[in-house]
Amino acid sequence: MATIVLNGRTYAVDEDGFLEDPTIWNREVAEDLATTEGINGLNEDQWKVVAYLREYYLQAGMAPMIRKLCKETGFKLAQIYEMFPSGPAKGACKVAGLPKPTGCV
Amino acid sequence: MSRPTRVSDLSRRDREEVTRIDKAPLAPLPPPLDDPAALPAFSSLSDQARERYDGALDGTIALNLPVPSGPDEERTLVARFLAGLDKLFERENNWMFLEPLVLTMEHCAKCQTCSEACHVFEAAGGEDIYRPTFRAEILRRLYFKHVRTGGLLAAWHHGDITVNWPLVARLAELSYRCNLCRRCAQACPLGADNGLVTHELRKLFSQEMGIAPKELHDNGSMLQLRAGSSTGMTPAVVRDNVEFIDEDIGEKTGLEVKTPWDVEGADVLLVHNAGEIMAWPENPGAFAVILNAAGISWTMSSELAGYDSINYGLWYDDAQFARVAIRHAEAARRLKVKKIVLGECGHAHKALMVVADRVLSGDLDIPRESCLTLFRDIVASGRLKLDPSRNDFPVTLHDPCNVVRLMGVVEPQREILRAICPQFREMAPRGVDNYCCGGGSGFAIMSGHNFRDWRLQVAGRKKVEQVLEAFADCLDPSIPKYICAPCSNCKGQFRDALEYFGLWRDHRILYGGLAELIVNAMTDVKPGFIEWEWH
Repeated sequence: MATIVLNGRTYAVDEDGFLEDPTIWNREVAEDLATTEGINGLNEDQWKVVAYLREYYLQAGMAPMIRKLCKETGFKLAQIYEMFPSGPAKGACKVAGLPKPTGCV
Repeated sequence: MSRPTRVSDLSRRDREEVTRIDKAPLAPLPPPLDDPAALPAFSSLSDQARERYDGALDGTIALNLPVPSGPDEERTLVARFLAGLDKLFERENNWMFLEPLVLTMEHCAKCQTCSEACHVFEAAGGEDIYRPTFRAEILRRLYFKHVRTGGLLAAWHHGDITVNWPLVARLAELSYRCNLCRRCAQACPLGADNGLVTHELRKLFSQEMGIAPKELHDNGSMLQLRAGSSTGMTPAVVRDNVEFIDEDIGEKTGLEVKTPWDVEGADVLLVHNAGEIMAWPENPGAFAVILNAAGISWTMSSELAGYDSINYGLWYDDAQFARVAIRHAEAARRLKVKKIVLGECGHAHKALMVVADRVLSGDLDIPRESCLTLFRDIVASGRLKLDPSRNDFPVTLHDPCNVVRLMGVVEPQREILRAICPQFREMAPRGVDNYCCGGGSGFAIMSGHNFRDWRLQVAGRKKVEQVLEAFADCLDPSIPKYICAPCSNCKGQFRDALEYFGLWRDHRILYGGLAELIVNAMTDVKPGFIEWEWH
């Protein structure tokens, strides 16, 4: 297990930079994790994506389909890539404190 | 290049890499990627990672091997490795692959024909440790010294080797620098299979030592056996997701789309790689449109693992492989279907259609078919109304190694493309001589540390070259282009490579499956099924 220091706070993360313990997530943690995506301060659209991912995860125990994410938030995938350069799985899910999506996705 | 890397380098006790591929000059790429300085930077491992993990090999890490606590633990690990080595060569412990393995150990002329055939070796500018023979040479020396216990004579005849923890750790990492595409095996004039050597090493590490990438084991086959899918989708979640796809594709096509679930006695049980449902829903959606339009009696299964054709054990662990293969067959037996049809997933083809022959017997031995031959039959039958002018854009075809080289399914997908894609053009080489996408053997889902750089810059380099050459006459971004890659793992690699090298952004090269091209040509469907948006 690796550690990463963001804005002076230390987090335990896996080799891909995802939180080891998704339960410690809160808005401050999201802002800290967002800096690893080059984001300083999440805007309203980015929060909308993060909030949907978080809500779905707490319900289903995994990340939603990418297409569902787009449809439910009203953003096209290209827009999500603009908001989170590493994409919905490796970028947005990371900021939302989800574990790294698994399988051939 | 500096001096060649020797087998003995892997036994060095220092914790330094034996080569640094992140700093090496890699093979040149064609335009527009012909300026090495303009390519994405190959990032280096962090000091934290180099300190924390053993098996320093080439400047990247696939396995995250913990550093043993001291000489005692090192000795225990080496002893387990040697015990596993023995088992590889025992009939009762290696009933899958003993014969070809022994043949490969005993017969190799070291002619290097296989090295010339290997895309990883070529892309890395001829780096010795990536030769298919390098890995095999290590195993061969171990075999003659420790399994055949040949003593000094064997050391003189076959070359000596020092077995210690550094060798074991570096060899474990080295077994994850090969895509298992088996182009080397096809090229060998003697029939030696150096791809199998990689597979057998991975198997030894997993089955005897519990060493495997977490993407394939903990988050892969273990999760699949527990939840039903390596994506984590439980039966309830997959039903919900596919219902969403049915609605979405219904809106998009203007047709009523309904996926049948758990229909007893259906002709066909369709099993997708569940990653398609999560990441590329237009593919399973297109399957539903085609099968319904062709009047096929089909179903999906909501049994545990019955809705996910993934079988990562194929790449690293025979026991995990068998457990999952049996689940797949059981789902089909319970529904009393006539046959299983595999969706667009290469390793699932090899797993269930070929290797599982060694596992499935009696009433579990249910006929299995590729979706490619089924699609060919449907298209050739004239049951779908198809308008090729809807696909009037440049299309090239990627041959997934497991379906094409391994199984010889070469023509069906081409018959379809020739019929429905007026601007279809081949890559060179093609068919059974194809090159791997670079994501083969699980790499497409492995991206810890800087491994993503390795798989895109090294393993995927040859395929990027092929794609650019196939589209050399139409790189202009005003012309949208399509790589047809009928395999989930390959699609994951193409997605990452096209993004990494900016080829969608700057040249409008997109990727997708075969089913999507068929539906895009169907006249009963609203035009524009393929949306030319990044996915």
